[in-house]
Amino acid sequence: MAISRRQFLGRSGATAGGLFGASLFGNPFTRHALGMTLGDRYIVSLFLDGGNDGLNTITPVDDGTSGSLRAGYETARHSGGGGLRLSPGTLLVPGGPSLVDPNSTTPLGFHPGLGGLANLYAQGKVAVVQGCGYPNPSLSHDTSSTIWEAADPTRSGLGTGWLGRHLAAHFGSSDIPAVAIRGSIPGEYRQTATSVLTASRVRYFDYPYDGRNGSDSGFRRNALMALADESLASGQLVQAQVGAANRSTLLAADSYPGLHDTYEDERPAFDQMYDDLGTGTARDLREIAKVIYGVESGVPNVDARYFELRNGGYDTHSDQGAGNPGSRHYDLHDEVGSALETFYADCADMGVADRICIFVWSEFSRRIEQNDTGTDHGSQGPMFVIGGAVNGGLYGNHPDIAESSLDNGNSVYSQDPANPYRSTDFRDVYGTLLKHWVNVSHATILSDILPLDAGDPDQWWTTEDFDLGFL
Amino acid sequence: MGDENTALSAADARHLLRRTGFGALPKEVDKILSKYPTRGAAADFLLSFKPANFRPGGKDIRERRVKWFKYMLKGKRGLQEKLVLFLHDHFATNDSTVGDDLQMANQNRLLRKSCKGDFKQLVKDINLDPAMMDFLDTVRNRKEQPNENYPRELVELFTCGVTDFHGNANYEQEDIVQIARAFTGWRLDDKDRAFLQESRHDFMDDFPERGPKVILTNTGGFGPAGRSFTTRGEGATEIEEVIDILFEHTDSDGRNTVARRMARRLLEYFAHGAYSTPSPTTIAAVDAVVTQSSFDSNWSLEALVRAILVSDAFYETATAAPNGPGTARSVKWPIDYAVTSMRLLGMKLKGRDARVDGGNRRRIVDHLEDMGQELFEPPSVFGWDWENAWITSRTVLSRATFARDLTVARGNGSTSFRPGKLIDMTLTSPDAIVDAVTDVLGVTDRISSTERTIFMDYLTDEGAEASIDLEDEDVVERKLAGLFAVVMQSPAYQLH
Repeated sequence: MAISRRQFLGRSGATAGGLFGASLFGNPFTRHALGMTLGDRYIVSLFLDGGNDGLNTITPVDDGTSGSLRAGYETARHSGGGGLRLSPGTLLVPGGPSLVDPNSTTPLGFHPGLGGLANLYAQGKVAVVQGCGYPNPSLSHDTSSTIWEAADPTRSGLGTGWLGRHLAAHFGSSDIPAVAIRGSIPGEYRQTATSVLTASRVRYFDYPYDGRNGSDSGFRRNALMALADESLASGQLVQAQVGAANRSTLLAADSYPGLHDTYEDERPAFDQMYDDLGTGTARDLREIAKVIYGVESGVPNVDARYFELRNGGYDTHSDQGAGNPGSRHYDLHDEVGSALETFYADCADMGVADRICIFVWSEFSRRIEQNDTGTDHGSQGPMFVIGGAVNGGLYGNHPDIAESSLDNGNSVYSQDPANPYRSTDFRDVYGTLLKHWVNVSHATILSDILPLDAGDPDQWWTTEDFDLGFL
Repeated sequence: MGDENTALSAADARHLLRRTGFGALPKEVDKILSKYPTRGAAADFLLSFKPANFRPGGKDIRERRVKWFKYMLKGKRGLQEKLVLFLHDHFATNDSTVGDDLQMANQNRLLRKSCKGDFKQLVKDINLDPAMMDFLDTVRNRKEQPNENYPRELVELFTCGVTDFHGNANYEQEDIVQIARAFTGWRLDDKDRAFLQESRHDFMDDFPERGPKVILTNTGGFGPAGRSFTTRGEGATEIEEVIDILFEHTDSDGRNTVARRMARRLLEYFAHGAYSTPSPTTIAAVDAVVTQSSFDSNWSLEALVRAILVSDAFYETATAAPNGPGTARSVKWPIDYAVTSMRLLGMKLKGRDARVDGGNRRRIVDHLEDMGQELFEPPSVFGWDWENAWITSRTVLSRATFARDLTVARGNGSTSFRPGKLIDMTLTSPDAIVDAVTDVLGVTDRISSTERTIFMDYLTDEGAEASIDLEDEDVVERKLAGLFAVVMQSPAYQLH
């Protein structure tokens, strides 16, 4: 007897209910959040891959006569051939919230490539969080990005990402709460409970049903969906996970490719703006905009609210360049700053500016002391949090970059409350995002997502309020 | 409880061939059952290969990738290739960092030569492997600033691991600092031979503030005195002595740390199951294969693998009912998925480009990259993430595209899809055709009756056709090729 697709759906639902309890919300494969998460908000993780040079991102502006920061800066970064020093006149000091380091009272400026971000700062849409890092920083890209992704500075070997742990608690394996604009699941979303869609371009996310005979596609889809449901109901963990990935992929393949045409047709002006920028970051953010537009338009099976994209190339050991257009670090900053400005305008036009929050991070900053033409791996640096609901301004302290204070050329991380240069644990930024944006309770953050460290309170993070103030 | 004398069932033989090679072809199953009918005999047969002393040739890394893929596709020495893959993942080194395809190929030759040999010797060889020396900065390690990159991974990934089976730390940061001193000054000459440049080596007289070259004063079972790695003198012998010490490291219960860790990793690799979170059961399984093989004294990978391949831990999943909650299943690595599919379909790759003949005629290496596994390019020193990390929405599509492209490959000869060479084309009963196809693809005993019904529904256009005419070219193109594709795209086929 042939089984129709409707029967399959009915049967798999019954089986799932039988195995996992009658309540839909008890079913680990479809376990929607019910107001315990973002609600109608969005969150975007933007990873600057390779270690962004924080000192040439948010830079002391002072002329060197009064502020120690600028003096330290000029010692560490020389001018002339291969020099990375940004002259005070080229740094961007936007209007809007104060951009004066609270500890040293040194005025700060944005790298000249970050005009787009500085514009958003002037509008009060950007929080700059200084000195983000963790003790005993690893200078390994792999180790340090894993630490940031897992929120695991004690390197205890957590196998999941910090946002992944949150998703796993609230979504089932047939949901698609998150979309990453890349080929693999980003570390911060890693977990095994729910689906993170990975697609470099949504338009190509169609399922390869049939190479030659389109007429067979419907039968293939029915069979594959029924097989996915059967695996979901198998009760065998790995097979169920593979079934869930297949099911969400098939559903996404129905819905996601069309988001491209819809966006192109209905938002041509913004579509063109990303094209005019012509960068990878602009195009990747446009993919996220397409999904958000789909969610806002109520496209079936499109309800992702967690996103990730990355921009690579920050590992500037050589030829980093200072502040001239066309130099390497300038172009990286320009790419990200301009793309974010366009994306924010797009979000504002879609009516979601106050419902989106973008956070920008890197696995480490770079050496305070430059080498011949670039910078080696370093310790803590600034993060950015961007959105209409963000309390724009400067948070945290600039690291102490006086030559005598450096450890092997790097600024020293410290949580000592008496230290005027006290650093920011990156998990305080995560905690603030979770508590004030994702709506996770303080207790749940501590118990399930960001467990406290034991040990020395002057080294390890022990603050518990998650109220850095930017949200 | 079984042992090496336990007779193999047909399901056991298929399981053994799937896990130790790339798919179980009927003639291979028959050979095992007729000539090597016990666990021990079959393991000895599979391990009887003579370790090859060659490297994948080619003028660049892409050609070498294709070459290695073709070794696997030939399938003559499946277990050798599976072990080389395991070691490639264990000593993960990638070409994009090293930037020297000849060094990468030479490392592959080392792994190939050593894949069933003395593991302790292999780690010593890896110390001075040119690709590894470059990848983890040994060639940049100098006495003024000892580089901890290789020393950390040597302890954390290649030998002891971060913690023992009971969660106790295996080493401290100070141990890494000290071991880094041993590796200072090792360089490569213009023929890629390693030598110690003594002027860059950290001698104790030069750096009295760094203390004696002693490690493991708090862990490893050596007592508070720890162990010195200069008992054979300072200089070139230090890095060998470090390895000798690490291989004497014991867990808090006195068991050898490296032996246990390697046994656990190889059990995960071949037998699967939850060995990464040790329970009393998994610890017992790990300790049993170490004891049986004496791996903690002879360090013979061959003995250890043999012990695994005769164990109940390996065979317990061979015959379990499909989809039962207790059934351990493992996600095929992309390499395994691709090689197995092509072997089962009797398809080959031709030309340097090695394109798959269907779809957009993409290169095999591009398919593999999309599926998440480029040879010579593990994502980091941690190697690839196994099991369900292989399966994302993107890799689901990539696997599906590969399967689809194989089944629409048309043309001449062995690069095309030729179902007439795989099944009896005079069959007309949908039941018989589904069974024939699942037999070819090796999943007949791995699918539930519901899954089989789904394949039937697909083949019959959901019941519209009572009989299938495989002499009709259109039916073959549309439904038979489609059935092969759907089976290869199904969740069950992603597992083994």
